Amino acid sequence: MAAQRTARARLQGAGFDRFLPYLLLAPAVLLVLAVVVYPLVYGVQTSTKFYRFGTAISDVGFAQYRQAWNDPLFRGALWTTLKFVTAAVAIETTLGLGLALLCVRELPFIRTLRMVLIVPMVITPVVVGIVFRLIYASDVGLFTSLSGLVGGGSIGILDNERGAFWGLVFLDVWEWTPLIFLILLAGLQSLPQEPFEAARVDGAGTWRTFVDHTLPMLTPVLVVAIVLRSIDAFTTFDQVYVLTHGGPGTATQLISIYGYDTFFRFQQYGYAAAMLLMVALIVLACAFLGIRLIRRQAATA
Amino acid sequence: MKALRTIALVAAAIVALVPLLWMVATSLKSNQEITQAGTLYPHAPTLENYRNLFSDHDYGSYLTNSIGITAISVLVSLVLGTLAAYAIARYRLPLQAQRHIGVGLLTLRILPPIVIIVPAFLIVERLHLLNTWIGLIVIYTAFNVSFVVWMMESFFREIPVDLEEAAMVDGDSRFTAFRRIVLPLAGPGLVATAIFAVIVTYNEFLFALVLTSTPSSQTMPVGAATLIGRIDIDWGAMSAAGVIGAVPIIVFALLVQRHLVRGLTMGAVK
Repeated sequence: MAAQRTARARLQGAGFDRFLPYLLLAPAVLLVLAVVVYPLVYGVQTSTKFYRFGTAISDVGFAQYRQAWNDPLFRGALWTTLKFVTAAVAIETTLGLGLALLCVRELPFIRTLRMVLIVPMVITPVVVGIVFRLIYASDVGLFTSLSGLVGGGSIGILDNERGAFWGLVFLDVWEWTPLIFLILLAGLQSLPQEPFEAARVDGAGTWRTFVDHTLPMLTPVLVVAIVLRSIDAFTTFDQVYVLTHGGPGTATQLISIYGYDTFFRFQQYGYAAAMLLMVALIVLACAFLGIRLIRRQAATA
Repeated sequence: MKALRTIALVAAAIVALVPLLWMVATSLKSNQEITQAGTLYPHAPTLENYRNLFSDHDYGSYLTNSIGITAISVLVSLVLGTLAAYAIARYRLPLQAQRHIGVGLLTLRILPPIVIIVPAFLIVERLHLLNTWIGLIVIYTAFNVSFVVWMMESFFREIPVDLEEAAMVDGDSRFTAFRRIVLPLAGPGLVATAIFAVIVTYNEFLFALVLTSTPSSQTMPVGAATLIGRIDIDWGAMSAAGVIGAVPIIVFALLVQRHLVRGLTMGAVK
């Protein structure tokens, strides 16, 4: 009994042990404060200054936020990003759900398939960009070679605006459908079996069972997958940098590419900082709404 | 129905693999075959592109930097993150401080890293740490730490506190109890966390692009991307660069495939 009390005292904190949690927390917290929080504050400060060729010349307060809001290129990039996220995530969710439903009853080669589908999402995004440039290129691309076999001419997906935009969407679908598939597969496998057995006894068809039982029970997981993927897709950068760098024209100029160019190419540090902070606010607001949606789903489920 | 299902799944596997096979095929062709012949597979396979990559393009250096920076950053963040996660999972601090710290770290994880790219560049420049390993290592470690804390805390919570108390009643110190009881039980979680951190760090592009500009400090993704800018595109070198960049991560994924699915989906779901 006495020994138990000493142990509990040691767990709850007595003597040196009272300081231990702070000691354990300090390195991680200080590192994050210095490397993430401090730059955030510094970024807000930077956004109130006007830079020319990398030198701060005047304090302009929050004028650059208004400037961004009235900047047609900023608005255009925001709109392109929105279209990109909506198209890509909608297609990924549909395909991922379809594949997960097909896979939920184990097939012999399911392990192999799972391994194959993981490859697109683990390889370096820059390499994914290279892969698709090699496929889409009008002179050396896969499509051009295939069309050559049947006597056709060259096909340049990235040469026109519509082709480049949908080419980018397809790249994202190729890379990230596997993630949605894996999340939904895990969700499907964890569903209780009874409702399905009952439905089978009642003679309900596959489609009815899906609409009445599978979909409602899967909704919370579905919402998580969609919210996470959308947040991530909103700041897609690496693949676009390699594939088109925003072109042709501004067809694939996502907000991250416009922010990067303003910062690194045109060295308007303050303006870039203001724009990227606005993007972060949008993402955080979406994430917050998403989390509330998930909570409400969890509460009603 | 079963046949239909099989066809759909095989089709998915083919779509996933064909783009990668095309990159491999291109990398094994001579530049003349790539640009003029339009062949589907290399008729005269050659390793010329790979040789050029290492002789003309410093590719060995990019890979060394990538692997070194990833290894150090992931190790440090695992140690710091695990300690902090243990404190959050096991102690109740005044004002619920441990909970606020946990929520704070989670919020920072949602924050897109691109938002701090401008200030990070200005700060690193002022500290004269552009074009060094240390600049990237510190930034990657900080981003990894918030992720490690978030993952490991949930693993620690799953381990009943009674087990440690029992060990401590038997005379173990807290540290010994942690090492003998908690760490082995949290082992699989730690492995999954480490895998996820390695993949994310090795693949990172934006910070490496902005903070480094010399071959002695640039990482693989930046090295591969800069091949594109030079003169007109050297398709052979570019495809070989893509293959070499992808190989370490694919080998790694195959080695740890048992933990990988867990690591990847949990990183997303939790």
